[in-house]
Amino acid sequence: MTTEPNSHDFLREQAPFYALGNLSDAERSAFETHLNGCAQCKADVTAFLAVCGALAQTVEQHDPPAALRRRILGAARRAPEAPYRLSALAPWFAAAAMLVVTVGMGMYAVQLRQRVGNLEVQLRDALVRVDNGERRITVALRAAADAQTPLAILTAPDLQRIDLAGQPAAPRASARAFWSRSRGLVLTGANLPSLPPGRVYQLWFVTAQAPVSAGLLKPDETGRLTSVLDTPSDIPAPAALAVTIEPEGGSPGPTGAKYLVGLAH
Amino acid sequence: MPPPIYPPPACVTLTWLVWAVVTSGAPTSGNKDREAVKQLAGGDHAAIAELYDRHARLLYSLAFRIVRGQADAEDVLQEVFAQVWRQAARYDTSRGTVIGWLVTLTRSRAIDRLRRGRLQPQTLDDESAAQAVPDVAVAADVQLVTAEQASEVRAALEALPDAQRVPLELAYYEGLTQSEIAGRLAVPLGTVKTRMRQALLRLREALAGRAP
Repeated sequence: MTTEPNSHDFLREQAPFYALGNLSDAERSAFETHLNGCAQCKADVTAFLAVCGALAQTVEQHDPPAALRRRILGAARRAPEAPYRLSALAPWFAAAAMLVVTVGMGMYAVQLRQRVGNLEVQLRDALVRVDNGERRITVALRAAADAQTPLAILTAPDLQRIDLAGQPAAPRASARAFWSRSRGLVLTGANLPSLPPGRVYQLWFVTAQAPVSAGLLKPDETGRLTSVLDTPSDIPAPAALAVTIEPEGGSPGPTGAKYLVGLAH
Repeated sequence: MPPPIYPPPACVTLTWLVWAVVTSGAPTSGNKDREAVKQLAGGDHAAIAELYDRHARLLYSLAFRIVRGQADAEDVLQEVFAQVWRQAARYDTSRGTVIGWLVTLTRSRAIDRLRRGRLQPQTLDDESAAQAVPDVAVAADVQLVTAEQASEVRAALEALPDAQRVPLELAYYEGLTQSEIAGRLAVPLGTVKTRMRQALLRLREALAGRAP
């Protein structure tokens, strides 16, 4: 007989004591480790567990007192309502928690969407206002610039004044031009007859070679006219200025009747 | 052309029906125990009554044999059924029979009570010392045998020489360790082991029907 403490032969002798519950903790755990991989010891333990069962069955039999049954059943009835297993309830708790979280997230999302929507509307309003402001500033700047131009022309050192007189087509009309080669031309007029549709007034520089267009003119309903025109700096010095009636859009050279004419000095 | 399928004769159908009803409606006692434990786990008190009515006599008799008193045996049984109630939800039905579990619990609780009672004269009011006694180390759930096999084992037990039977009874019914048995009987530890092993092997042979 071997006495090696971890050998099969040694451990196999423990099988009856194991079934009897007669081993120390250390002996029991050593035997259980061996038991997991040993079919022979497993068979031994099964046989000895039956012996131990039989030992329980061989004792002299007594009927338990009737009162004992009532006490035990009564105790079970009074026992805390079912030993609920947390493991059985856990899925429900989890589901409930998920539901709460989902509803909460949903409400939060709706709130966020409303806020985003409100902010978008406000942003659009703000952009529209900024756009309008910019447009007004541009208009104002242009107006300011427009206002500057005649003043600059009228104060130019090379300013030349040319008076224009009405012609037979418009005997009551009159106009006065202020021209600076370096800064442009200002023309004011009065009593210009209103034109039929599709016709415009055009101003000409009458030069030695040929008349050169200086721009189109648009009098108001009362026949008054104030125009500021750019003239090219290389334009030939005019012998005279003339205003004719031309088709809409103007002509390269004068074609219609003369309404105003003035000689340059 | 496949052969036509005839309906089975009425007597065959009837036999099958009877067989099906009998087998399905007659679960073994072990299956009924498992069902009862499942019902307990689900909170059904009535299942305790079922387990009690089926096994209380055996468990009470074992407890009585160990603690040797009616009042203590009753207390043991109450503790056992309270433990069954508490642990039903954790009971693994694959680990063995329910009655094996009940017998193991009863023996464990009874020996526990016996050892504490034995300790009390020395420690009187010292509750913590009594509670420090470790629970009986019961290895695994025992397996019940048929009444015939049990009486074979009983006869073999009674036929054993005292030198073998007494150490076995001290271990099984009083939960004494091998050293305690050696001390009580004033024999060497090795001798105790040998005699107990011989006794158990003899009972095993009786159970297997190989008794000479």
